Amino acid sequence: MGGESKWMGLWYVSPYVIGLLLFTAFPFLASFYLSFTDYDLLNKPEWVGTANYEKLFTRDRTFDKSLKVTLIYVFTTVPLKLAFALFIAVVLNYRLKAINLFRTAYYVPSILGGSVAIAVLWRYIFADTGLVNMMLGSLGMEPINWFGDPENALFTITLLRCWQFGSAMVIFLAALQSVDKSLYEAAAIDGAGPWKIFRHITLPLITPVIFFNLIMQTVQAFQEFNGPYIITDGGPMKSTYLLPLYIYDKAFKSFDMGYASAIAWVLFAIIMVLTLIAFWSSKKWVYYAGDKRS
Amino acid sequence: MKTALMGLALATTALAGAAQAAELRMSWWGGDSRHLATQEALKVCGEKHGHVIKPEFTGWQGHFEKVATQIAGRTEADIMQINWPWLPIFSARGDGFADLEQFDDLDLTNWTAEQLEAGRRNGVLNGLPVSTTGRLFVFNKTTYDKAGLPLPKTWDDLLAAGPVFQEKLGDAYYPFEGIALDGTLLVTLYGTQKTGKPLIDPETNEVLWTLEELADAITFYQSLVDNHVIQPWPDVLAAGNLPIHENPKWTKGEIAGSYQWDSTYFKISDPMEEGQELEYTGIIDQADELTEGVYRKASMVFSISKNSENPEAAAEIVNCLLNEPEGIAAMGSARGVPASKAALTQLTDEGVLKPGQIAAQELVIGAEGPAIHPYMEHPDVRSAMEDNLELFAYGEIDAETAADEMIYAIQEALDDIKS
Repeated sequence: MGGESKWMGLWYVSPYVIGLLLFTAFPFLASFYLSFTDYDLLNKPEWVGTANYEKLFTRDRTFDKSLKVTLIYVFTTVPLKLAFALFIAVVLNYRLKAINLFRTAYYVPSILGGSVAIAVLWRYIFADTGLVNMMLGSLGMEPINWFGDPENALFTITLLRCWQFGSAMVIFLAALQSVDKSLYEAAAIDGAGPWKIFRHITLPLITPVIFFNLIMQTVQAFQEFNGPYIITDGGPMKSTYLLPLYIYDKAFKSFDMGYASAIAWVLFAIIMVLTLIAFWSSKKWVYYAGDKRS
Repeated sequence: MKTALMGLALATTALAGAAQAAELRMSWWGGDSRHLATQEALKVCGEKHGHVIKPEFTGWQGHFEKVATQIAGRTEADIMQINWPWLPIFSARGDGFADLEQFDDLDLTNWTAEQLEAGRRNGVLNGLPVSTTGRLFVFNKTTYDKAGLPLPKTWDDLLAAGPVFQEKLGDAYYPFEGIALDGTLLVTLYGTQKTGKPLIDPETNEVLWTLEELADAITFYQSLVDNHVIQPWPDVLAAGNLPIHENPKWTKGEIAGSYQWDSTYFKISDPMEEGQELEYTGIIDQADELTEGVYRKASMVFSISKNSENPEAAAEIVNCLLNEPEGIAAMGSARGVPASKAALTQLTDEGVLKPGQIAAQELVIGAEGPAIHPYMEHPDVRSAMEDNLELFAYGEIDAETAADEMIYAIQEALDDIKS
């Protein structure tokens, strides 16, 4: 019976395992191999050793620009989004009338946000004659060139990402609700104000969730594609040309799949290093229940 | 009963023609009018030949990448509308698509030998030209009338129109447009006219223009901006990443001219607001030009997948779309003036081709200019030109630097393609 149940278990997980091997593990490893080849999609890959990586780090100015833009985007988007999500979560944690309606409403952008339709909508909202400029005009302000000015274009894309704060917010909300209320009562009796309570009780107790959201949002931000592809196509002057767009262009426009794979692996390495740094630093600022430091 | 069923089956097979009833796919890009016409044509031809054809259509943007991915994965449609410059990319040695000369059902006598040559790679007929297309100047006559100006015939006319538009119609009105691809093609046209040479030599794959010649053409581009002829690049992008036919300034007539393919007649005219009249003119000239410099090529071609399970059935459908009365009638002129003699005769006799379309096609055919290299539309060559022209338009680099960077990047791209 034991042997039978063992096989039964494997049988149950086999759809996932097969899917993982076929659609994740195989492409993952294949792209690593391809990054050392000259592969144009239509002919067999030819081994070129480290030539793709050498070109990437020594002669490719587009990669330099794209990497810089990507890092600016990630380091702007992630803190902004997390701060906004936490702020909304704190507000929605109060006992307000129709609170469930508000919670649902604030989550909706996350369901829609990554879609092509919303990116197109964003394009119209921030167009020169769009809603945002109309509102600015009604306040007596000059219209802003959101997409044509390289200084603003990346910010516009960043806003789209920040607007999709719902999933991070829901996780923050769950964390806020799990904080022991007696700690708040004790702090209030000791005369602590709302900010002190938030700073010294709430924030430390939800650091595991902040850490989780930080990692997830960073990984997702590095992979942003839809927004800049549809709204600005990477322009103007490559000011929104994030690395995933460059990978896409190299792979599917230039047919340089080997080179695109090399960029993808560099992107993977950057994400991994940043994640490791985050894990290393977490020992200093993340507090878990039962942790002696807490 | 059994005999009756057998008879019915035989009759159906006979009616369906040589190929057995098949389920096919056809992919294309285009605007709404082309999508509607092609779907109708596929329905009509499918019913006639006993096949079912599933349509797969998109806009221009992203279609190349879609087809590339499908071909790489061997999941491409049985029948594909392929842009002519893509032929050397997908079929460098002529073995990327089915050889169309192997199909008895495909009547190739409707094309001249010269037309068929455009669809060959390495001697193999990979694509059947649907039409010939070229870039022409198209103007909004209504807006020009409002400005009290005749349609421009020379670059000087165009340069003079800018200030008049600004004064009579206001800052929002421009006599022309041209950024990104359109901008680079304007630069190419001006330089070709002035030098008498194509930018890339079709024989040697080398850039033919000197740095000074290209810098001169780029400087001229700036004069179009300075004279209020075209909107500055940043202002165009302010509307979002929109093609011309989706730009409200075009549909309202505030932008009154463009340099477009003659085959995009409906795409750019359909979205225009009521009362706007479009007119194609020839190629704008300059004093002392060495050539008209027409940018002319086989328009899209129809190709059949080499991986198709039913290539004969696909050939029947291609023949129906291009040569048979039912298909021709349904397709109409959604892909421009047809190259197939049968289609051209039928659509002309039935009055389907609009006089404007016929006139535009005559202008394309009648104009002269050096042969266009298919790699002019290679993504890396395009990117080399667009990226540097954009940097110039934003004032980041001067014309000489832009020209230098362009020549270097184009040559590098050409060398990569060759290798």
